[in-house]
Amino acid sequence: MWESIASYGLAVGAVYAMTGITYNVMYSASRVFSFTAGMLGMLGGVLGALFIARWGLPVIVGFLLVLACGALIGVVTELVTVRPVLKSIEQHLYVLSTLAFALMVQQLVAIKWGTDAQPFPRLIPIGEGLLDQKFWLPLLACALTMGGLEFLYRRTLVGRAFLAIAEDSYAARALGLPEQHLRMASYALAGVIGALAGFTGAEMLLAFFGNQSILNFYGFVPVALGGMGSNRGAVIGGLVLGVFQQAANFLVGGIFASVAVFVVFIIVLLLRPEGLAGASLARRV
Amino acid sequence: MTRARIESALPWLALAVVGVGLPLLDDSYLGVIAQRAFIYWILCAGLNLVVGYAGQIAIGWVAMLTLGAYTTAVLTAGTVAEAWNPYLGLLAGCVLSAVFGLIVGLPALRLRTFYFAMTTLGFATIVTQVALAWRSVTGGGVGTPGPVFPWPFDPGWGFYYLCFLLAALATWMTANIADSRFGRALVAIRDAEVAAEASGIAKPKLLATVFVFAGALGGLAGGLFSSLQSYITPDAFTFDLSVLFFIAILIGGRGSILGPLLGTVILTILPEFAAPLVAWSTFLYAALLLAIVLLIPGGIADLLDFKNRRPLEQHREITPRPELLEQVLGHGGKASMLRLKGIELHFGGVRAIDGLDLDIRSGEVHGLIGPNGSGKTTTLNVISGYYTPSEGAAELNGVPFPLRAAHTRAGYRIARTFQTPRLIGAASVLQNVMIGGTIDGAATFAEAVLTLPRHRRDERHLKDAARLALAAIGLEQLADVRADRLQHSELRFVEIARALMLRPTFLLLDEPAAGLSAEEIRRLGALIKAISRAGTAVLLVEHHADLIFDICDRVTVLNLGKVLAAGTPEEIRSHREVVSAYLGA
Amino acid sequence: MPISAPEPLLKVERLSAGYGKIVVLRDINLVIGRGEAVALLGPNGAGKTTLLRAVSGLLPRSGQVRFDGLDISRASPRETVRAGLVHVVEGHRVFTQLSVHDNLLLAGYGLPRDVRGAQVEEALAFFPEIAAKRNDRAGSLSGGQQQMLAVAQGLVGRPRLLMLDEPSAGLSPVLVDRVLAAIVRLREAGTAVLLVEQLIEKAVAVVDRVYALARGSIVLEAGAREGDLANRLEHAYFGQDVSAPLNG
Repeated sequence: MWESIASYGLAVGAVYAMTGITYNVMYSASRVFSFTAGMLGMLGGVLGALFIARWGLPVIVGFLLVLACGALIGVVTELVTVRPVLKSIEQHLYVLSTLAFALMVQQLVAIKWGTDAQPFPRLIPIGEGLLDQKFWLPLLACALTMGGLEFLYRRTLVGRAFLAIAEDSYAARALGLPEQHLRMASYALAGVIGALAGFTGAEMLLAFFGNQSILNFYGFVPVALGGMGSNRGAVIGGLVLGVFQQAANFLVGGIFASVAVFVVFIIVLLLRPEGLAGASLARRV
Repeated sequence: MTRARIESALPWLALAVVGVGLPLLDDSYLGVIAQRAFIYWILCAGLNLVVGYAGQIAIGWVAMLTLGAYTTAVLTAGTVAEAWNPYLGLLAGCVLSAVFGLIVGLPALRLRTFYFAMTTLGFATIVTQVALAWRSVTGGGVGTPGPVFPWPFDPGWGFYYLCFLLAALATWMTANIADSRFGRALVAIRDAEVAAEASGIAKPKLLATVFVFAGALGGLAGGLFSSLQSYITPDAFTFDLSVLFFIAILIGGRGSILGPLLGTVILTILPEFAAPLVAWSTFLYAALLLAIVLLIPGGIADLLDFKNRRPLEQHREITPRPELLEQVLGHGGKASMLRLKGIELHFGGVRAIDGLDLDIRSGEVHGLIGPNGSGKTTTLNVISGYYTPSEGAAELNGVPFPLRAAHTRAGYRIARTFQTPRLIGAASVLQNVMIGGTIDGAATFAEAVLTLPRHRRDERHLKDAARLALAAIGLEQLADVRADRLQHSELRFVEIARALMLRPTFLLLDEPAAGLSAEEIRRLGALIKAISRAGTAVLLVEHHADLIFDICDRVTVLNLGKVLAAGTPEEIRSHREVVSAYLGA
Repeated sequence: MPISAPEPLLKVERLSAGYGKIVVLRDINLVIGRGEAVALLGPNGAGKTTLLRAVSGLLPRSGQVRFDGLDISRASPRETVRAGLVHVVEGHRVFTQLSVHDNLLLAGYGLPRDVRGAQVEEALAFFPEIAAKRNDRAGSLSGGQQQMLAVAQGLVGRPRLLMLDEPSAGLSPVLVDRVLAAIVRLREAGTAVLLVEQLIEKAVAVVDRVYALARGSIVLEAGAREGDLANRLEHAYFGQDVSAPLNG
């Protein structure tokens, strides 16, 4: 039983963690908390099933296509829901614009794809039982994401520009950095990560429009607890959350597991509104 | 006046006529839709105060509907205990939802907007899941029957009238709150929190009250809902429904009752009239919300705000009437003094204030000047309670005076203005000024809800006092104009009018001349001088050297957090060190 | 036949700017010649920082700004940097999470890769003290060193005009002199400088000309070596009209 909890818990936790990173990347680029993180994850699963199961594309092609779609949707999100609102004085509007957009996409999927959870194809025929690839693929993806981001932020100029904008967008602008392009690129990156999360997790979570709400909330919990902007916090928080949820599921049953997570979430937030990792001075990566 | 009253009453009359007259059409399908609209509006009327007025993004409010519905249904069905009277069941639903409204709402005091929105979503999901799992009580997925009300509110047109009456009641009550100092205080917290604090508005208590009230209305709606549905299951309380409520209010526009009401009615009716749209309804609501956010953030209320589309006179002058100040300030003639001794304030390693002594006396204008970073505004913030000093103390008329808790300053009759005017753009100038007199209201929230005589007296006095204050500063002709249509200099004067509402013993002005023309500065100076001559102690932080030397009785010069010099304007002007400090040697 | 004067490097005409509804600058006119060092002085709240922000594009403005023959009246900061006009903002805001070297690389973001490295080294050469700390996190530098880093960032693009907003703020006198010495070297190398400063004496010592800004308007323009400058500045700061030099 514990192997099952660990296996499933870590896998789902990795999906939550990557969704949390998606939130972080969007936040760092624009100081906007976007409701589209869960949407990207949901689309990763749905589009993956569409391309590979329905259209019969090879797994690799489908995978790359899903990531490309994620990037595209990320850019659209920035253009339509973030950029117009950043100019306005009313700060609360961005919460509403990203919410509205995410809802529209979710409803579109519900109508066109259907409201039932559809099976997701087996991606790689390796592993069996608890070591099946569906359990370690998300973990692998999460590790690659963290590694990739580390490389991006430490070794590339663009990545360092992302960090600069995240720390001080006024100074970055004065220095001549192309703030708008960089923000769009950040959102594209967030789109890729979100889609990756959903795609690798879809063998467990299935291709289901309802994943959006699930990932929105459970992807947010690690970020809220670990501190907005801290990817390490998101990963640790995500994995812990995944295992805790699975353990609670097994031990006390689904409903109480949800309630338990929610109560812990609320209590931690009320005690440390900035998250466990401390204030917004937390390291970005 | 009467014409304006009729104009504003018109939409309500029209709605009332439709509501009362609908049964005459004897179309039961229309009746069901109407009942649903009434019920949704009862919840939205309460939620409107939370979302539209207080500005809290409570997306998961459907939880209140669920709680109210199940409580009423279960108690009336007799599943757990002896069957209750449906009216009592309804009341129980209200009470339970009110309690949970408070529980769900409290995190709003600590959490950021987005975080709070997420917690309400999480809560809504939990409630639905509990309803699904707690089979013994709620019937689980199978559901439970809803209450049936006895005559005269039996199912059909009888129940229709119950819903209508309760909807009308909810509208009346929330409109009363909106038009009270509580409603204005909510908007102040939403849009100008710092200024709200300075006016004595305590956020926690007010928000808690509103969440309880909104919870109760949500529970009431839930109870009625369970009766309308006649049988409720957990999947009647979807996320879609929550979204509908939330969007209805935002489409209607914040800070309005009529707007969200129309929004709720429209969103409830829409899917019914376009059958193929039903599946797309949530998509359309979301698209509508996106359109509103990007194009008309003010919603329907903004569209209906014809009054504020009338052009304003281009060349407006601010002509203060200092002779009215005696009446506005109404001082008893008692002299007061606020003394600061040895104040020190450290931010990390920086000594923002490094040993400050300062006296502010009634009838005097005391100027506080110094280069950037010298600690002028910080001193003001310490007196008005936003920063607590690390060392030092203060005395008010010889009695020790605590330097903390900004929202208690108003009680001590300490009023202030801000470096950048902090006003509520969406509210009228008069409403903004009335905020300044919030603490003088005697009526309780309940009295405001029911618009009892003491509340109406409060409002009358407040309005009169505000008009007088506006007349004193010279802007009474702009009283009903939306504040965000005013020029910057006018906003500065409006802030002063708001401060005058406290009949302040001490008035703290933070760079009031910034951005004003030379003539406006002259009039400002005359006004400030008159305020002090009427008995108020004025502390004036300023960069404009000419204004300082013109009207101040005494001047203190700060540099690097310390007092560099203090004395009369003449003494300061020729003080070599002061000149050097300014010129940065 | 009079030889027409060459077009100045920076020409600002009827510039107005502010924040939202607050109008801070009204109808500003000023010019800076090639290789000229100019100081912009004035009391607090006069609008000096606002003026620099309006010129570099950080703030929306009305009026005309021409730089080296190019109309940059509606340009973004990125475009003005590319044109050769760099604004080193107030408060030595460097990216504390990144290394000194990374901070400089970012300043050269728009440059082609091959020249970026070389120009970064050039900029570092101006400030050997921070060159020694090139791999340290910028957050570990002292305030003075961060200010030097900020100025070095401004130099990476080899600007023709460098605008500095109060580089002396919060610095010890020794460091102030260091920074100002760098300005002298820049001038000698042919870079024009617009220096906003609180420390009048030190600023006047390193520049050719002086503007004084008060209450949103230019109230004084004079050569740095003019005899009664100190007096005229004092009057300008405290509100008297000083368009003509005083007697004596």
